[in-house]
Amino acid sequence: MRYAILLMGAPYSTQASHSALRFARAVVARGHRLECVFFYHDGVHNAARLAAPPQDEPHLVDGWIALHTEHGVSLQVCIAAALRRGLMDQREASRHGKAGYSVEAPFELVGLGQLVDLGLDCDRLVTFGP
Amino acid sequence: MERDRWRGRETGGETIVILHVVNKAPDTGKTLEQVLTAMSGDDSLLLIEDGVLGSLPALADRCAGLPGRCYVLREDLESRGLLARQDERFAVVDIEGFVSLTEQADKTVSWY
Repeated sequence: MRYAILLMGAPYSTQASHSALRFARAVVARGHRLECVFFYHDGVHNAARLAAPPQDEPHLVDGWIALHTEHGVSLQVCIAAALRRGLMDQREASRHGKAGYSVEAPFELVGLGQLVDLGLDCDRLVTFGP
Repeated sequence: MERDRWRGRETGGETIVILHVVNKAPDTGKTLEQVLTAMSGDDSLLLIEDGVLGSLPALADRCAGLPGRCYVLREDLESRGLLARQDERFAVVDIEGFVSLTEQADKTVSWY
């Protein structure tokens, strides 16, 4: 089956991100195709490229990147939810006159229409809320 | 009744089966009450994260109307030191079982 995950909880604030990552691994392990993880609301903080958690804790950002690298899962971040929380890629940063940027590939900033498409295209869409 | 509004959920004569996933403990707001009101037909209930507290015997009576359709996530029971303390009406599933439940249901609805 083709799966997608919607993640709306911030990393390290609630268990949502950990639950979603564990579920994502299990989906792939059962032989399904995980098309995308969509980061929305506070979930966009999972895309922060500057995240530096203590070394003895799970590194969620790296966990998502590994999922992309190993299984081609696309990591889509709602651009409107991201910009208002200070999360933006290099292009948006220069467009808004900001000195630095906080999101980089493989995370991509996309419109909310992508989430609608996932709901329509995938066999299963599973949400992890805060 | 509000229940009846949900009962009519059908597509082309075929009833949609929903897996309801709850991540809030019974003492956190009215999430679990709302889920039980919304459930119908052959819908299933899966408790995860702090929601697993709802599977303890003292709290499990509210799910008594769902025989054979109550599940609780093993990893979240275990990380809270509650494994084997769940009510016997709840079946324990691991994360693979969670995926399996989403395969069997037509849709998954998360309550948080």
